[in-house]
Amino acid sequence: MIPEYYEFACPTKIISGFKALSNLPYEMSLLGAARALVVTDQGVAGAGLIKRVHAVFEGADGVIGAVYDETPVDSGSEAVRAVADAYRGHECDCLVAVGGGSCIDTAKGALIVLAEDSADLKAYQGAERFNKPTCPFIVVPTTAGTGSEATLAAVIRDEATRTKMALTSYRLFPDVAILDPKMTVTMPPHITAATGMDALTHAVEAYCSLQKNPMSDAFSQAAIRLIMRHLIDCVRNGGDEQARLAMANAALFAGISFSNAMIGVVHALAHACGGVCRIPHGVANAVLLPWGMEYNAGKAGDALAALGPVLGADATVTGAIGAVRDLRARLGELCGLPETLGAAGVEAEQLDAIARVAIDDGSVTYNPEDVTYDDALGILKNAL
Amino acid sequence: MGYRAKKAVVAASLLALSTAFETVSKRSPEMRAEIARWNDGRAFAMGVLPRGPAITMRNEGGRLRYAGPGYHDPDVKILFKNVDNALLPLTGRIGADIAFVQHRAALHGEVAHGMQTSRALAIVQTYLLPGFILRRTFKRPPRLSARQWFLKAWVMGTLPFGMAVNFAKR
Repeated sequence: MIPEYYEFACPTKIISGFKALSNLPYEMSLLGAARALVVTDQGVAGAGLIKRVHAVFEGADGVIGAVYDETPVDSGSEAVRAVADAYRGHECDCLVAVGGGSCIDTAKGALIVLAEDSADLKAYQGAERFNKPTCPFIVVPTTAGTGSEATLAAVIRDEATRTKMALTSYRLFPDVAILDPKMTVTMPPHITAATGMDALTHAVEAYCSLQKNPMSDAFSQAAIRLIMRHLIDCVRNGGDEQARLAMANAALFAGISFSNAMIGVVHALAHACGGVCRIPHGVANAVLLPWGMEYNAGKAGDALAALGPVLGADATVTGAIGAVRDLRARLGELCGLPETLGAAGVEAEQLDAIARVAIDDGSVTYNPEDVTYDDALGILKNAL
Repeated sequence: MGYRAKKAVVAASLLALSTAFETVSKRSPEMRAEIARWNDGRAFAMGVLPRGPAITMRNEGGRLRYAGPGYHDPDVKILFKNVDNALLPLTGRIGADIAFVQHRAALHGEVAHGMQTSRALAIVQTYLLPGFILRRTFKRPPRLSARQWFLKAWVMGTLPFGMAVNFAKR
């Protein structure tokens, strides 16, 4: 059924395939750029992936002006300012984020700082608050989960207030997303599993969201099929480039879907678990997804049942939830992915704080069922 | 309905909301619990872009006070993109959640503060809107206790006087 109203946007050019990274200098030239600031982190650099990026500039007109590899695990306002300073100091004319969600979001924050010539990101919290043209922005993801390479959102920690700032703007869509399986093959199995479950959660929650629409539904279904077919292969054999490319596409599709349909209670709780207990986002999503599906079964039963066959089960709510639980159990056997919050390191005494933070998360708005403090606490207790 | 008429309806609806926020924050335990954790002086505004009607409410000692029409240094703004988009939720045709879901409104400011404002708005709507609208626009329509029914009658009964007082503040 067509919703009575919806909007959809994905202006990002997608380049997917083997040796796709080689096109980076050419894509820069199409955007009128010749001197890139690469935004990455120590893990990506240590895995030798920045060497690959350097290599593709041999014989090209464009150059790498500088590499910023100090991005923290949670992108923060200080890193954003440092990236903006490096961009100006090295006279760069485009940003190239090479990494996971933190690197990409740090680069998005720098886009705002550079466009607005203001280091006060707090002034841009919320939706559609800045509209100035940004510099060319290319993303090369090295994980397959966040989907940030195709979203309009960034989450950046404000070190001064120790809170997370959510920023959304159509100006934050990357110009180009380059998916090259060589850039994700170094991911270890447990991170592959957690980020893959993050992508699955994006796709499922977007499919059940109040903001779902036919376009986002199509991307969600495509993402879920790829994840169910290839995530286990990636965890079993990280060097399987076909599976890696499929998962990179799955994460991208899920990102496009949730950037337009948004997410729900699972993400609200997972964000809160991350903030209160420092539980990795993908792990929290993996634990909470079946419980969130159960919680929403009353209001989103039709959508969940329709996902059953997409998930490889029968067309029922219990089939869909069972398929997710089965996948998570297999990942647990293969690489130790936790199946409960307790196994992930959450203490019972922390549930109250998590629930209080979760109901202030914007994702709750898009969840089909209302989420009160008591509701959030109930889901957390089930998942403990 | 022409633009001026729509603008007048939106302005009257916002004025009614401002009055209801004041009354409910004074008398409702649910609302007082919701705003108990707000900083004193925290303000939010609701208005219509680009230059339509707007109101600002401010937390003063655990009660919400009408700070006047327009934007008075709010921490959070709920901005409807045009007068048609404002009419739908303010006249009870869609819920506040759906206004965001359908991109009819944008939040400027910290999201957590926006969510707290949204919950406060839902509490006020519980007392301001008739049951058939609540059943259509709320994800989980509230079931009112006898005390809440009494407060609803009080809110409705005092609304005209409160609106007149707040109208005089312009």
